[in-house]
Amino acid sequence: MSSWLDYTINGLIVGNVYALVAVGLALIFGVSRLINFAQGSIYLVGAYIGWVAVVQLHTPLPLTIILVAAAAALVGLIIERFGLRPLQNSVRIAPLLATIGISFVLDQLVMLTFSPNPRALPSQLPDVRFQIGGGTIGPLDLLIAGVGITSALLLFVFLRYSKLGWAVRATAQDRDAAMQMGVDVNRVNQAVFGIAAALGGVSGLLVGMYYNQIDTAMSLQATLKGVVAEVVGGAGNVPGAVIGSLLLGLVESYGVAVFGTSYRNLFAFLLLVVVLVLRPNGLFASARQAPPEPLTGTFIAPSRPVRIPRWVLLVATGIFAVLPFFPVSFYVLQTLINAWLLGMLALSLTLVAGTIGQVSLGHAALLAIGAYTSALLSLTFAVPVGLAIIGGGLMSAALGTALISPSFRLRGHYVSIATLAIGEIVSLVILNWESVTRGPIGISGIPPLSLFGYELVSPISIYWFSFIVMVVLALLQGRLLGSHLGRSFRAIRDDDIAARAYGLSLNRYKSLAFIFGGFAAGVSGGIAAHLYSYINHETFNTQQSILALTVVILGGLGNVVGAILGAVALVGLPEVFRIAAEYRILIYGIVLLLLVRFRPQGLLGTM
Amino acid sequence: MSNIDRRTLVRGSLAAMMAGAAFSRAAFAQSSEPILLGVSGPLTGPNAQYGTQWKQGFDLALDEIQSAGNINGRKLAYSFEDSQSDPRQSVAIAQKFVSDPRIVMELGDFSSPASMAASPIYQRGGLVQFGFTNSHPDFTKGGDFMWSTSVSQADEQPLLAAYAVKRLGLKKLAVLHLNTDWGRTSRDYFVKAAKEHGAEIAVTEGYIAEERDFRSTLVRVRDANPDGLILISYYSDGALIARQARQVGLKQVICAASSVYSPKFLELGGEAVEDVHVGTRYFPEDPRPEVQKFITGFKKKYNGLEPDAFNAYAYDAMNMAAAVVKIGGADRRAIRDAFAKVKDVSSVIFGKATFDVESRRVKGAMNAELVVRKGQFALWDGKPT
Repeated sequence: MSSWLDYTINGLIVGNVYALVAVGLALIFGVSRLINFAQGSIYLVGAYIGWVAVVQLHTPLPLTIILVAAAAALVGLIIERFGLRPLQNSVRIAPLLATIGISFVLDQLVMLTFSPNPRALPSQLPDVRFQIGGGTIGPLDLLIAGVGITSALLLFVFLRYSKLGWAVRATAQDRDAAMQMGVDVNRVNQAVFGIAAALGGVSGLLVGMYYNQIDTAMSLQATLKGVVAEVVGGAGNVPGAVIGSLLLGLVESYGVAVFGTSYRNLFAFLLLVVVLVLRPNGLFASARQAPPEPLTGTFIAPSRPVRIPRWVLLVATGIFAVLPFFPVSFYVLQTLINAWLLGMLALSLTLVAGTIGQVSLGHAALLAIGAYTSALLSLTFAVPVGLAIIGGGLMSAALGTALISPSFRLRGHYVSIATLAIGEIVSLVILNWESVTRGPIGISGIPPLSLFGYELVSPISIYWFSFIVMVVLALLQGRLLGSHLGRSFRAIRDDDIAARAYGLSLNRYKSLAFIFGGFAAGVSGGIAAHLYSYINHETFNTQQSILALTVVILGGLGNVVGAILGAVALVGLPEVFRIAAEYRILIYGIVLLLLVRFRPQGLLGTM
Repeated sequence: MSNIDRRTLVRGSLAAMMAGAAFSRAAFAQSSEPILLGVSGPLTGPNAQYGTQWKQGFDLALDEIQSAGNINGRKLAYSFEDSQSDPRQSVAIAQKFVSDPRIVMELGDFSSPASMAASPIYQRGGLVQFGFTNSHPDFTKGGDFMWSTSVSQADEQPLLAAYAVKRLGLKKLAVLHLNTDWGRTSRDYFVKAAKEHGAEIAVTEGYIAEERDFRSTLVRVRDANPDGLILISYYSDGALIARQARQVGLKQVICAASSVYSPKFLELGGEAVEDVHVGTRYFPEDPRPEVQKFITGFKKKYNGLEPDAFNAYAYDAMNMAAAVVKIGGADRRAIRDAFAKVKDVSSVIFGKATFDVESRRVKGAMNAELVVRKGQFALWDGKPT
């Protein structure tokens, strides 16, 4: 029995830590309806500025906190002014991509300045421990709780009783109306980003001290957990974010208690999916609250797609088809094979995200399902590789659609968060379901690609194989978009109420889109499995999902040719920048930001 | 001093007799161009720290090789391509290396998914993939161009089990391990060996690499009531677990695998890692000349920085590469054959390293039983903690 008390206390302590990030995310979401993927990077920046202050300058704790808050706030203001404000009037999804780009840039800058080695960040508080239950807590626990709860309370009071706070809430409810009433929307945004960034920076500092450890890989994890906590509490709801964080901490702790450590995150993400499905506005949303997303589909704004003449496409396809006849190196061919595989994933995502408006952040899960199915079919049941890959595609279509179907009722950002969670769940199930997936050991010795008994092992044959598969999938998808199905998909995206009024069954069409998209992604994963010969739960990770979304937004949502162009660009650019060694991801991030800045509707525009 | 395992020497001389005089010194084309090795590893991304450590180890070894007069007059150099430990990038790098005639062999990658995805390309391209941190049991099964000096966990874990059970006298163990292919394989070998020594395994807990909070895990450990904690961890997570274990009031003996052996473990763990036992392959005061040369050279080159396990792996790997190239010359196939011929290469980890041609791995890692005393790694004096 006493153990349960300990698990409860531990859960609250960790929840406490999550709350610091979640509050900042909630604040920004509340005002700009934006999941700020750069929040984790600000947290990272805060931790390292704190390290400089503590270890190099030997500042006392209060001064350290003020320094970190001020510096992080400055970073937040810069992000708002130069990264996001120029995108104000563009597509709603552009700022999301911008924050991803900003987080690349910030993480890389920190890594280049401080080296990727982890560092100790000593706590400046006296090391006394208080006995509670079977464990102890220290002064830092109290300080973190204090900062979390105080900042949530202060923000609550600020939003409710101060004039700027009213302006913030007015802007959150209706930006245009607020502007007409004379609210300086830019100033409001600035204030919000400044506060949220200061909070993010301080949380990085405190969490770093808490674990006596900071490293450059901490930013993505912080963002993920923060997003989960925030959404559980109700996106944009500041006190809700605190309670959501504590709840998340508790669920994880009890999950560990009952099933063991390797199930911990599984419970976190299951909690998220359950909350999203049962109470999409979060646990603490009031019934009166306006829907969190606009009723009609301004999330993905229509733009005029670039019309590419048919002959250009034919010539381009022809050139790529005969490329291996020319003296190109295998390295170039391999890079293009990667691009075609990513292209298939992007075709899938551009259909579900762009055409029907379900922006998925967990698409790598479909790759993983396809890859594992195909690998196991060919290894365990000796199914010919060609059939096994098709099997992978079918399994991905079926399982992917079944997993996502509970969240068909969600809209906008909530779909993204639900799919993010489902992606993590799939990866954790692969890790833990050892009797089938062989757990962390992974599957090795997967037979190479073969077709009708002929092994495809030379890069040239793999190139042609993946290119042809991708072109066939692209043609099918083009045909689909031109049919009545494609028009129905777009109708649902643009205005789901009107579409329903017109008699379209939303769930059926969403299922159809996911079935088709799941197949393409599963095939891509299947080919990858046979290409790599070894896969484990880390092969298809969250970064893949984020990359796929970046490709799709870059190419233009729903745009088939755009998806392929985006895949070639995002596989090619990091390879082109190889010459820059450690700086290449930094340059990649900056190029991404510039593209979003000057072409927010994507290279070829939304279809 | 008797802690150093002498098996290696015996084995080394046996192998030497069997290998016979199969030396063939390839004629080197006299050229001023350096002999180029390809390295595929993480310089950015979540594992970037390990790539940086590799570089430090490589550069030190190269300095020494150069001052010893290079390889038959030719300089040895490497070209490091950043893979972020991502299989998609490591396969592209593999094609790049295979089609670059200047590259004579490849080193890396870091993680199993990235390394083993590239193996088929190296195998078909006929370029040696020398994976010196690849402990995955299937890595060298990728083909006869896959060689590894990574300490086999089948070798290392029984040593750790002997330290914990026989030497420290622990009878009931809680095993915390990274839930990766490495951690999982290690755990299985450890559990098997510990049971053979008569210990009971009270609980095993696998955690993912990004995990930072272990309090609830440690409550599970406490409830299992072990008399010792075994950490199959890297230094950053190992330090976190030790700190949190002490914070929640667990006072049991902690015994950790060699992968925590790093000055960072002491820095990140602070007082909490005092008295933690570590089974390692070498230690700072180790009288072996190759260890002293490595440590003094490293400190001199990097302003007094203490080398860690990954530095040592990389340093050894570059020395092994030099020894192999010396026999095999600049021909890729001859280099593969040279791996079977090379013997008794001076090594920090193995003392004298000779490949087992069957498994394409090196057996018989050295053993040193250390404990953290006053914030430093020291040879365990046999006193209980």
